[in-house]
This record gives sequence, structure tokens and C-alpha cells, in this order.
Amino acid sequence: MNAQLIERLGAVIGGIAVAVVAFYALYKDWQVTGVENQVFKLMLALLGLGAVLALLAGLNVIGFAPSKGAY
Amino acid sequence: MSVAAIGADAHGGVDQLYVETRELRLQGFLLFLVSDCVLFSSFIFAYLYLRNSGQGWPPPGIQRLDVAFAAWNSVVLFGSGATMHYALENFKHGKFIKYMWFLLATIVLGAGFLGGQAFEYNHLIFGEHVTWWGSGIFGASFFTLTGMHGLHVFFGVCYLTVLVLQSAAGVYTRGKYFGITAGTLYWHFVDVIWVVLFSIFYLL
Repeated sequence: MNAQLIERLGAVIGGIAVAVVAFYALYKDWQVTGVENQVFKLMLALLGLGAVLALLAGLNVIGFAPSKGAY
Repeated sequence: MSVAAIGADAHGGVDQLYVETRELRLQGFLLFLVSDCVLFSSFIFAYLYLRNSGQGWPPPGIQRLDVAFAAWNSVVLFGSGATMHYALENFKHGKFIKYMWFLLATIVLGAGFLGGQAFEYNHLIFGEHVTWWGSGIFGASFFTLTGMHGLHVFFGVCYLTVLVLQSAAGVYTRGKYFGITAGTLYWHFVDVIWVVLFSIFYLL
């Protein structure tokens, strides 16, 4: 297995795990009120979005990948 | 397990000053995050403006950044956001050991992200000769923005390390833990900024 494949696998598996955790935490805290909790909810949503983006990049759906792998 | 009353200290009393100033501290900290957001936004918009005013991107002679390693490193940072969230949740519910483990995991993942960034910088500077000072707008904006973010992550790791030491010394109680809340807010902020930087540098 080359390094790029390992990185992509890590991004996909990690992306799924983090997205699930972030969206589940958001779902659990949805009814919670208060300024800090509203900020936490916004940030959890963006964290989940970031994880989905990393997952899609790992799957090569978005982003650029050189044919040989840059690193 | 229930959440303790705000301001309850370790001896069963209530810290009145803490109760009265907690909201102000929170607002002050949120204002700090907003000011940091403005700082990043100004650099991000400058980068986007310069990027769209040139003829093609990246400039001739510079390869596009490889997304695979960045995606992996991003997941490391985003994972640290998840562990930090659960550190705070566990502390709120009195699970101190779990809190400490999640906090330590956050520090390790944050340090791992910094290591990954150092690896990428090393490759770019010595492998591809892309530098802050010698690669035009691309190098300047990439190293300024990611370097500034990396500095924030570094300060965050230092902050969380102080939190570990303070927590071990019993500084925080279930009713008085604003330091941990602020640390969690800061760490989430650093994560969210990276979502934007990852998107504009590696995905666009």
C-alpha cells in the first residue's frame, strides 16, 4: 500500500467517525439553550461539515490529487 | 448524574463573584473569538481577492497542493474537536477520569496536527522550493494563513496543557469550570477556521 492510499483511508475512516460524533453531539444538544451552547451547536455543525469535506476529499470526490502523489 | 449549580466550589459553598461575573467572562471570551475571526477573515478575503485577480491559479511553476495528506491531517484536527467536546461533557457530569483522558487525547491530536503541518512545510520548502518569501502571492498567503492558524493551535495545545495541570490540582469544580468551557470554545474555533482554510487552499 502506498502512502497516499493510507492517507486517503485514514481521511475516509476518520471523516466518517468525526462526522458521526459531531452530528450525534449536535442532535443530543439540540434542545439545550444558553449563549455558549448555541455557539457550541454552531461549531459542532461546522466541525461535522469539515469532517464530511475531508471524507469527500479522501474519496477523491473533491480536491486535486496528483497522479503519483505529491508527498 | 446531574450538573452542579453554577459557582458551587469544592467545599459545598457558592462563589458569589463567579456567579455574578460568569456571563461577562463568557461575553468577553466570545468577543475575543469574534476579533480573531475578523483577523482571519481579512487575510482570507485578501487571499481570495489576489487569487481571483491573477491569471490562473496556482501561479506558473507551482504545483497544486496534494489533498490526500491534508485531508488526513484535517481529520486529526477535527477528531481533536470531538474529543474536546466529550472532555467538557464528561467534566460537566462529574466523570473526571474520562474528562482527563479526552483532554489528553485532544492535546495529542493537536500536537499530531502540528507535526503534520511541519511535515508538509518541510516538503514544500525543501522538496518543491515553495517559500513564504520567494513564491509570490501563493507562498505568502499560504504560509501566512496556515502559519497563523498553526500558531493558534500551538497556543491551544499550551492552554489545554495548563488545563490538565489545573484540573489535576483541583482548580475546577463541577460548578466552576469556565476555564474548561473557554478552552473548548477556543479549540472548536481553531477547528472551524481550519475547515475554511482546508477548503480554500486544498479543495477550491
